[in-house]
Amino acid sequence: MSYVLRRLAQTLFVVVAVTFLTSIALRLMPGGEQVLIGLTTGPGATPEQAAAKVKELGLDRPLLVQYFSWMGDFVTGSWGNTWQTNQAIATEVKRAMPTSLYLMVYGQFLALLLAIPTAVWSAYRQNTRFDRMASTSAFGMLSLPNFIVAPILVLIFSVTWKIFPFPSFYRSLWDAPVEHFKAFALPSVTIAIPLYAGYMRLLRADMIASLQSDFITTARAKGVSTPRLLFVHGLRPSLFSLVTSAAVNIGALMGGVVIVEQFFQLNGMGRLTVESIFRREYPTVQYAVVILALIYISVNFFVDLAYAWIDPRVRASRALG
Amino acid sequence: MSQSLTPSRRRPGRLLAALAISAGLIGAACGGDDGGTSTETTAGAGTETTAAGGTETTAAATTVPPPTTEAGIEPVAGGKVIMGIEADTSNPWRPAEMLCAIACHQVIRNIYDSLTMPNDEGSWSPYLAESVTPNDDFTVWTITARDGVTFHDGTPFDGAAIADNLTRGQAGITTGAILRSVTDVSVDPADPMSAVVTVSASWAAFPFALIGQVGYMASPAWLAASDAETTLKTAPVGTGPFVYADYKPNELFRMTKNPDYWNAPYPYLDELEFRPISDGLNRRDALSSGTIDMLHTGNGQNIAEYRVSDEVNYTEITNNGETGYTLLHVTQEGSPLQDRRVRCALAYATDNPALNETIGASVNELANGPFSPTQIGYLEDSGFPMEQDMAMAQQLIAEYKAEFPGPISLALATTQDQTNLTIAQFQQQWWIEAGIDEVTIDQIDQASYILTAAFGDFQVFQWRNHGGFDLDQQYFWWHSTAAADVGALALNFGRIKDPALDALLDENRASDDPARKQEIAEEVNRLFATECYNLWGSYSTWGIASKTNVQPPTGFELPDGKNVVFGAGISGVFYAMTVWVEP
Repeated sequence: MSYVLRRLAQTLFVVVAVTFLTSIALRLMPGGEQVLIGLTTGPGATPEQAAAKVKELGLDRPLLVQYFSWMGDFVTGSWGNTWQTNQAIATEVKRAMPTSLYLMVYGQFLALLLAIPTAVWSAYRQNTRFDRMASTSAFGMLSLPNFIVAPILVLIFSVTWKIFPFPSFYRSLWDAPVEHFKAFALPSVTIAIPLYAGYMRLLRADMIASLQSDFITTARAKGVSTPRLLFVHGLRPSLFSLVTSAAVNIGALMGGVVIVEQFFQLNGMGRLTVESIFRREYPTVQYAVVILALIYISVNFFVDLAYAWIDPRVRASRALG
Repeated sequence: MSQSLTPSRRRPGRLLAALAISAGLIGAACGGDDGGTSTETTAGAGTETTAAGGTETTAAATTVPPPTTEAGIEPVAGGKVIMGIEADTSNPWRPAEMLCAIACHQVIRNIYDSLTMPNDEGSWSPYLAESVTPNDDFTVWTITARDGVTFHDGTPFDGAAIADNLTRGQAGITTGAILRSVTDVSVDPADPMSAVVTVSASWAAFPFALIGQVGYMASPAWLAASDAETTLKTAPVGTGPFVYADYKPNELFRMTKNPDYWNAPYPYLDELEFRPISDGLNRRDALSSGTIDMLHTGNGQNIAEYRVSDEVNYTEITNNGETGYTLLHVTQEGSPLQDRRVRCALAYATDNPALNETIGASVNELANGPFSPTQIGYLEDSGFPMEQDMAMAQQLIAEYKAEFPGPISLALATTQDQTNLTIAQFQQQWWIEAGIDEVTIDQIDQASYILTAAFGDFQVFQWRNHGGFDLDQQYFWWHSTAAADVGALALNFGRIKDPALDALLDENRASDDPARKQEIAEEVNRLFATECYNLWGSYSTWGIASKTNVQPPTGFELPDGKNVVFGAGISGVFYAMTVWVEP
């Protein structure tokens, strides 16, 4: 119980700190209120019209009042509308979230799908040709920024071979599954490439250490098959770093792949946040930030739980308090 | 004037004849341009830029009509087209509140009709309006609604609708600036189908103002409903060839055919969808990959490719085009740009032909003034330096420094677009060679870009503007009454305060004498060249490329029998209702 309360308190602190700092940062952007008013009203506004807009948006109130008013709206679910397009902010966020979720899930899935077996075999066959090729290619992939990878993929698979669409206009998984997967294919691969490289290197290192453990030697001596040795006995204790890294990346992928989103024209949380910053849509940015913060916190919580599942010693030590 | 030619790229090798129409209307100033903005600004390099604004003005000299469908080929109704546009407006779509640039007008002109349209005689024709009639001194205008037209929601289009829209326009930020001299708008008591507009001073060019944003007619019922429920603002209701279906900011704007459109047989398409793809090269790739069916582009490299490509249908719009240029803030306190010698030195130092060739692929024609060849006021030789003359530039700077000793520093603002940055770097290099001691380049995010100009918070600024039909369309860009102090929003971005220029603009506004208007516009052109208020780059060219089964847009006959011209006063805008798809 105390653990839960402690986590709740941490969550609340993080949310308040992050959103308050964001609130300040937004108001320190170049141009200040003037740019915001101009974006909302256009370049011909008289001082009276500009003042009226300031009042309408509540910007004439002290920052703390604005912040707590926003916090109240957030908690009660009255998120309001965007200042320029009059779209319900909740709707905009609901529209962006699935895109980011799909990108994150598909990117992670592809990366792990390739990284785990590659890393395991690479560790098992350390210093062989396969290991060297895998490691070298991973270094190469880590070095390639996604704004280089994306255009190359588009040139080959969209423009030349016309297999996948570009841009990747969002299609619902339930309404048009084939188009959906085709739309997300190239962005997911773009995201997955550096992820794969990082995961592969991480897991390989941990696997090498695990495979040198006594229990592995014992298992081998008892005649355990190689696949079982690698993927059951060896892999499980090697997953800590990978799980931690993947968990951190969940949050990063939800809001941080704005370059991929921008390039492929996918309106995910990253693009929504960045566009809202440019447009000085203060409430939208704050909502996006708090959602991303909550995702990070939630993911970390579940990762902590996952540790206990992965390693029974963690369960035991927690039980002992 | 009969229309000729075939815009279609059915025949390999040649592009359509350039459509040089003068009568451009500039859409209402597209202020903040949503962030989507999209638009890139260029000086000489033929990419998208912002600014809009505008009013329509008089006709220009010679006009080349838009293309027509090949003889013997009948357009086919049906189908859907997805068009890639350069930006998302992300606006409420109410006429008085829109911050509209090219992409915005390209979208919304399918939902809204405008009261008047530009014709191929360099003048205007009534379109949604049955007539627009002045009194003797052009201080009272009677606008009569076209009979039998209803809005998409069934609301009748009548005098009350016109009055409602124009009254709201008066209160709008951008439209209000255009309608500043309107003192009264009311329904004609003698005719419920007419509205009467009273202006404070003779305004002969008033009908041109009705071609663009000011003249967009929205349903009064929808306007009232969206007053109360603001989320409705992004679901526009007009009288246009297409009916609103869906809008997702920064993603798509979809519309369906208006089966009861008053201007039959249009539209041909069943469905039209606009997708903002801000990067010109990505837009090109989207067409190549088949994800979109059509696009517009101002990118010189793309245009050069499309001109010789057999893989697309291609047409161009060059009429009433905007001019890419470098905008100077000429009345900033303490700025060396207050001095004509410094301004003209920058003009002499800039190698515009080299820029146009290197960066713009020589697609656009070099500009010697604000008016393109088909616009009124164009001069073959305005007196503006068209070739680099570094010796002259250095001499002018030396003269200035002899009188005002000390270093000269300039800040050059540009967008975050790589092309514009490259142009800025060239300019920086040349101006330093001319004797400017320091030239810093400030890259500004797109969303803030136009506002930086509007607030006057700049010294030198890459820009694009001044398409149009009549000089009156430039009134608020150049008149001193629109030059607010730095820190206040103003449409006269460069804060030009020139009594001679004011007098010319005022005289033009009141005049209906075509010959005198021509003279005035040419005087304005020469004045700009003499004073070097701006550094002219090139005249915009807009390319429209489409899949080979998508027939490019054409012109059409207006209700009065004249033919419409492309652009409708906004550079690069065409009539999607004329597009059709081969089955």
